[in-house]
Amino acid sequence: MKHTLIAASLALLALGSAQAQTVSYGIDPTHTFANFEIGHMGTSTLRGRFDKKEGTVQLDRTARTGSVDITIDVGSINTGVEPFNKHLLSEDFFNAAKFPTARFVSSKFNFSGDKLTDVTGSLTLLGKTLPVTLKATQFNCYMNPMFKREVCGGDFETTLQRSQWGMGWGLNMGAPDTVRLLVQVEAIKQ
Amino acid sequence: MQPAAFHIAAARAAFLWAATAGGPAYAQAWVYTLDPDHSFVHFEVQHFGTSTTRGRFGPVRGVVVLDRAAGRGELSLRIPTASVDTGIPVFNARLRQADLLASDEHPEAFFVATRFRFEGPRLAEVRGEFTLRGIGQALSLHATHFACRSVEGGEVCGGDFEGEVLRGDFGATFGLPLVGDRVRLKVQVEGRR
Repeated sequence: MKHTLIAASLALLALGSAQAQTVSYGIDPTHTFANFEIGHMGTSTLRGRFDKKEGTVQLDRTARTGSVDITIDVGSINTGVEPFNKHLLSEDFFNAAKFPTARFVSSKFNFSGDKLTDVTGSLTLLGKTLPVTLKATQFNCYMNPMFKREVCGGDFETTLQRSQWGMGWGLNMGAPDTVRLLVQVEAIKQ
Repeated sequence: MQPAAFHIAAARAAFLWAATAGGPAYAQAWVYTLDPDHSFVHFEVQHFGTSTTRGRFGPVRGVVVLDRAAGRGELSLRIPTASVDTGIPVFNARLRQADLLASDEHPEAFFVATRFRFEGPRLAEVRGEFTLRGIGQALSLHATHFACRSVEGGEVCGGDFEGEVLRGDFGATFGLPLVGDRVRLKVQVEGRR
């Protein structure tokens, strides 16, 4: 009996690794957003997000590997305050005329058991590429009844120092350097 | 009444109330009018138990009376429900429908509060009534930041406030339970006197 169980377990393990495969997912733009938070005059928190983005995710949940490539249309920035959007898109901040996109690329997904814990990659902003680690605060896959396909996604967070990308406007007047990113991602199995 | 007229009337009423109210006296009450560039209600809700869907209402209109010396205050805020913005126009339109925000019948949500709790000079918590779809429920918002600063000709006070509601309690039930019942509110406000 014991040997049978071990044999069965080994067979399942072998089957598992034989089935390990990379699956491609296309991001669902309606449930994928980069949101940001930055302090305002030591008083309150300004929030905004980018409304247009596209990208793909490759995930092998058995081998616990993955990669992602997401491009954000900087011009789609949305704070709810049009003059603030315009200022953010100007040369003082994102310089969208010269750098219309931001991009996050990673091929290092770190798992703890079946749970994705963080994604280490690089963020290109203002034409400058620097390493960034997004920490997963939530990760799950489910069968979406509308798409009738598997969807994987979660919430990811990181804190950036904007000056590292050369975005230094207002620092000399006391505006914060620290920007918190809150990223929602859902991606549909292709 | 036009929004601007309401605004001034509400400010005046709040100020008069502040000046004449009985009970623990106001020491030095000021009326702050919300700054539309820095007054938004952001919300978060769970989507299929997988990720957090976010959106925003605003700008929020209204007045806040603060008496930091006496540790008292009150506020009256109006939130235009049709201003909901998730970044996805079809979602926004869906959210405005009768089984969610019901924006045609209830163009505004309200938050009215008279129970302010201070920790020293710092506002720590505001308790009042939140009305959505014409249904009022108790709501407590706790301050994660609060500060005042001098500006030319006056003062700005503001901060970040957080709380949560169950949307089902207000009859906004579409999509339950796949889209969560618990809605987390993250409110940015700055007001000027």
